[in-house]
Amino acid sequence: MAPEAILSHLHRADGSATYTHNGYCVIGAVNGPIEVQRRDEMPEEATVEVNVRPAVGVGSPKERHLETLLHNTLRSIILTRSIPRTLVQITLQVRSLPEEEISTGVNTTLTLLPHILHTALLALLSASIPLSTVLTSTLIAIPSAPNARPATPLVSPTAPELLRAKPIRSVHVFAFAGDGRMLLNESDGVFSFEEWDEAAEAAEEVCCKEEGGVGLGEGVDVDGKEGTNLEIWLREVVKRKVELEQRWKSAR
Amino acid sequence: MMATTTSTHQPPALSFPRPIFAAVSPHPFLQAHLTAPNARKAPQRANGRTAQEFRTPGINTGSLTHCNGSAVVRLGNTSVVCGARAEILADVDAAAAANGAIAGADEQDPDEEREEIESLRLLVPNVELSTGSTPQHIPGNAPSSFAQTLITRIRSLLLSTHLLRASDLRILYTPPSSPDEPDEATAAELKGYWVLYIDIFYISIDGNAFDAAWLGLLAALQKTLIPHAFWDEDLETILCSDDPSDAHSLSLRGLPIPSTFAVFEGKRDWDECSEDDETDWMLSDPDAFEESVCRESVCVVVDCSAGKKGAKDGILRRVEKSGGGVVDREGMRGLVRRAVERWGVVEAVFSGKT
Repeated sequence: MAPEAILSHLHRADGSATYTHNGYCVIGAVNGPIEVQRRDEMPEEATVEVNVRPAVGVGSPKERHLETLLHNTLRSIILTRSIPRTLVQITLQVRSLPEEEISTGVNTTLTLLPHILHTALLALLSASIPLSTVLTSTLIAIPSAPNARPATPLVSPTAPELLRAKPIRSVHVFAFAGDGRMLLNESDGVFSFEEWDEAAEAAEEVCCKEEGGVGLGEGVDVDGKEGTNLEIWLREVVKRKVELEQRWKSAR
Repeated sequence: MMATTTSTHQPPALSFPRPIFAAVSPHPFLQAHLTAPNARKAPQRANGRTAQEFRTPGINTGSLTHCNGSAVVRLGNTSVVCGARAEILADVDAAAAANGAIAGADEQDPDEEREEIESLRLLVPNVELSTGSTPQHIPGNAPSSFAQTLITRIRSLLLSTHLLRASDLRILYTPPSSPDEPDEATAAELKGYWVLYIDIFYISIDGNAFDAAWLGLLAALQKTLIPHAFWDEDLETILCSDDPSDAHSLSLRGLPIPSTFAVFEGKRDWDECSEDDETDWMLSDPDAFEESVCRESVCVVVDCSAGKKGAKDGILRRVEKSGGGVVDREGMRGLVRRAVERWGVVEAVFSGKT
């Protein structure tokens, strides 16, 4: 299933997006470029502020960790030098998580990370913040094999799939830029370099392989849109956004 | 050391002394160091190390009297005090107790143990930055997001490496066998848990805070002694023996060692005269100055204590990379190799001490 995205639905924010995929739902809002607090002002580049709000309760150190990861990643794709002495404020509210999330035994930061990265990017696109590239991200889980044979990695698994494949040996999150560079990687568990390399290859295929890549649907797609990778999905989303913005032109 | 523009044997040049160059334009300063035209020796970083060179850790254990285990670790000018203190969690709720009863067997699936430790929060790491440890730290505020990120990373690495065994933390009680059936062994009952509070205190931070914290934590946990705790039937409470010979140490699983790298992206237009294309450097074990210049960082945690070090062996425990897109799959191969080498060095320091 390709993720669903709704852009620019919050009217007070400069840009916003709601993203739904595999039972995760995240709302993102971006304000910027706006005035920056004197303390945070940087003379040659924009300050990026990321706030992550959990689905339940107030923020904990886990959210701070997510914020740091997002801050580092987004700072590298936002053209901060073209909007110096300003602030780009990104707020992400997790709206719902899949019910099985807690019991999968997988680090919940990692399962949430691809979704929250996508939401932030869509909200940035919606706010028309200058970006040097886009990013796509996915989760790869390698279940522990009962026999000596290597297990097939699960690509972008849903929470019930993770639960069924328990115990999971290692989990990997990858994010790739539009030009195929690896922007972010968080891997956890027990794995060899070759397994990591395979996981990276599988993730690259899902995120940004040109043609003939393994799609997200992998045969179980109900929409019949097979063979779409995340970059094509992202292009579709942006196309719809541009069409909507150009409707004054095409109106008769 | 003072390089003034009015030195005797040189005309007044339009040049800055070193510290001013570093402060005014840190990025070109580091790049000038790394692209030293001197062909006789390898280019050095501003701190005198080569790009691949780590700082050798200095480890001193058992420094604090009131902790069950403690260590002071120095990594250059980064110094960390780590203390582990064990406290008894006596009121174990029914669900946990049932879980523990199943776990009466000696060997257990590490993932189940992890869930036991995680759900009961038996490991509580905390990071504190002392006043003056780093200029970025403003004292008197709530824990900064830097400190909170460190806590999260340490906690999740502690859990995902299965470093501690739940059996070390359980307080069991075996009821005496009934007089009717003296031969039948009775099952052990779970009466409580030890909770480990692991406090990590930075005296000073000169980069690579995570590695230093983790080394401190490992050294402290290796030396941690947990007193013998037993259930007293008459008092209906958990008592501890004050005989040090009864205390047991923790048996840790493996020796996961992190290696942090900072990726320095050279500016190509700034240095067009250099022919070779090498304009990005992976700096091992960055110091604070390098961290402020580099945006991308990679942390690789390896554990080679099983003896194998090849690419096919499951030695990796964690890879964290964020902030840029320089390190690709091929670059990561090199970093993993360097992390494995680093593991050998750190392991030697640990085994020299223990």
